[in-house]
Amino acid sequence: MTIAVPTTTRHWRSGLSHAMRSEWTKLVSLRSTKVTLLVTVAGTLLVTYLSSRSALHHSRQWYQGFDPTNQSLTGLAVGSLAIGVLGVLAMTGEYGAGTIRSSLAAVPRREVLMSAKVLVVGLCTLVIGEALSFASFFFGQAILSGGAPTATLNQPGVVRAVALSGAFLALFALLGLGLGAIIRHTAGAIAAFAGVTLLLPILLHGISGDPARFAPEIIFANSVSAVVAQQAGALSATIGTVLMVMYCAAALIMGAAVLNRRDA
Amino acid sequence: MIVTDGLTKHFGRKRAVDGLSFSVTPGVVTGFLGPNGSGKSTTMRMIMGLDAPDAGRAMVNGLLYDELRWPLREVGALLDATAFHPGRSARNHLRCLARTNEIPDRRIDEVLDIVGLTAVADQRAGKYSLGMGQRLGIAAALLGDPGVLLFDEPVNGLDPEGIRWVRHLLRDLAGEGRTILVSSHLINEMALTAERLVVIGRGALIAETSVDEFVARHRSEAVRIVTPTPQRFVSALGRAGARPSVDPDGAIIVSGLASSVIGELAAEKALTLHELTPVHASLEDVFMELTSESVEYRSLAPDAEAAPSALVAR
Repeated sequence: MTIAVPTTTRHWRSGLSHAMRSEWTKLVSLRSTKVTLLVTVAGTLLVTYLSSRSALHHSRQWYQGFDPTNQSLTGLAVGSLAIGVLGVLAMTGEYGAGTIRSSLAAVPRREVLMSAKVLVVGLCTLVIGEALSFASFFFGQAILSGGAPTATLNQPGVVRAVALSGAFLALFALLGLGLGAIIRHTAGAIAAFAGVTLLLPILLHGISGDPARFAPEIIFANSVSAVVAQQAGALSATIGTVLMVMYCAAALIMGAAVLNRRDA
Repeated sequence: MIVTDGLTKHFGRKRAVDGLSFSVTPGVVTGFLGPNGSGKSTTMRMIMGLDAPDAGRAMVNGLLYDELRWPLREVGALLDATAFHPGRSARNHLRCLARTNEIPDRRIDEVLDIVGLTAVADQRAGKYSLGMGQRLGIAAALLGDPGVLLFDEPVNGLDPEGIRWVRHLLRDLAGEGRTILVSSHLINEMALTAERLVVIGRGALIAETSVDEFVARHRSEAVRIVTPTPQRFVSALGRAGARPSVDPDGAIIVSGLASSVIGELAAEKALTLHELTPVHASLEDVFMELTSESVEYRSLAPDAEAAPSALVAR
């Protein structure tokens, strides 16, 4: 029989680092992680390729206001959808079977479990997002150099656009994670994520005052990954980023509240 | 050591667990017995901190579950047959759990070996049969070598060999001085495995006792009579103050009268006897009677066949 170790103090930090190691193992031991990552990378680079090719050999007039940085980051829109699904699955995978009960038996403090998930998914997708964003940029510029204006990292605003775009992939993953924690069902949470990212801009489009510019994917495409303003009235990159961080925080806080309050 | 104190839980307006107080002591297997829907699983989930009680509390080794420093090293539980992700292998599932409580990897191989899953440890758990899933759940419970173990219906889905294995495992674990709480809705299974019993019905405590005491107190005597003239015999018994019933095979079952009294009654009334056998109610029958008022889900008219034939010859 093991000896009971009575303790009433809360070993938060040590518990968190152990929970993070477990979350990392959870993430890498699932095929769905590999599949969604493959789709993220392949989808991004494919669309970047097509989009950059389509910008070649146009008239001088066509290149008025052309933003080679934004053009080479177009593919990340596809990546943002796939990586959001990865975020959803990291959470709803706990609920498909009774996995959440094993997880909470091992890490009973729910705020620790949730924090570990947010940190591991957030950090992993940040690394992947940055790598993919820079890869997409260089890949796109290489294609554009065949017959269109190109951008380099030392031009003003370019590093900001590329780096922020990478960070946005992590934010989309966290948005998916938060929705997954609120909804607790894979299909429902993916539908909600698709609704927020794909449907919302279409629904808001054409309403006076252009509220679509507040939608995550529009912020991503028009404010964050752009060096030259893509559309009149688009939010600045700073305001867009702050807004997106607030969306994610809201989803994660609601998700954490659901996890805390409901029986597992 | 597990202690619950006034544990209460409602689901909507339904009271699933009702002021439940009991304790589970180390060194013996304690059976947690009750019909389906009587609140066994809910109680176990509250002990594990998975469901929040509306009132009362459950303590493990003197602490609430979420106060345990390394919960898996103190408490192991098999609650669901499928408490694992179907896309993850058994080994990876155990790895995920081991990381959280700083349990070394070699312990994963050990528990896989104990439950006999070593050969399939790297297959996706979604492909496992119910019995293999159950074994993986037991491996997870044993992972931290805990002193307290909870098993919710552990023999579900196991073949006879597996059932025997679980019985031995539970007794061995108790023999090592651990605290074992194992739930079941089958009293015969419990009589084979457990030494102590916590019996509940509709979420409330019915009995907390040893198996032997439970059997001794509740076993009722009856007499089985076979006669060519059952109707005359039944009316004679009725006049003698007994309340006989007739089995489908025509035998009369009567309780409250000793066989000697019945024999004399037969001689007095000149009734032919082919058989006069003392019988006792089976454990199952005792359990059914004890919980009959607290059975949540009852099939229509079960009494017609269940009640008389539940008496068996000693």
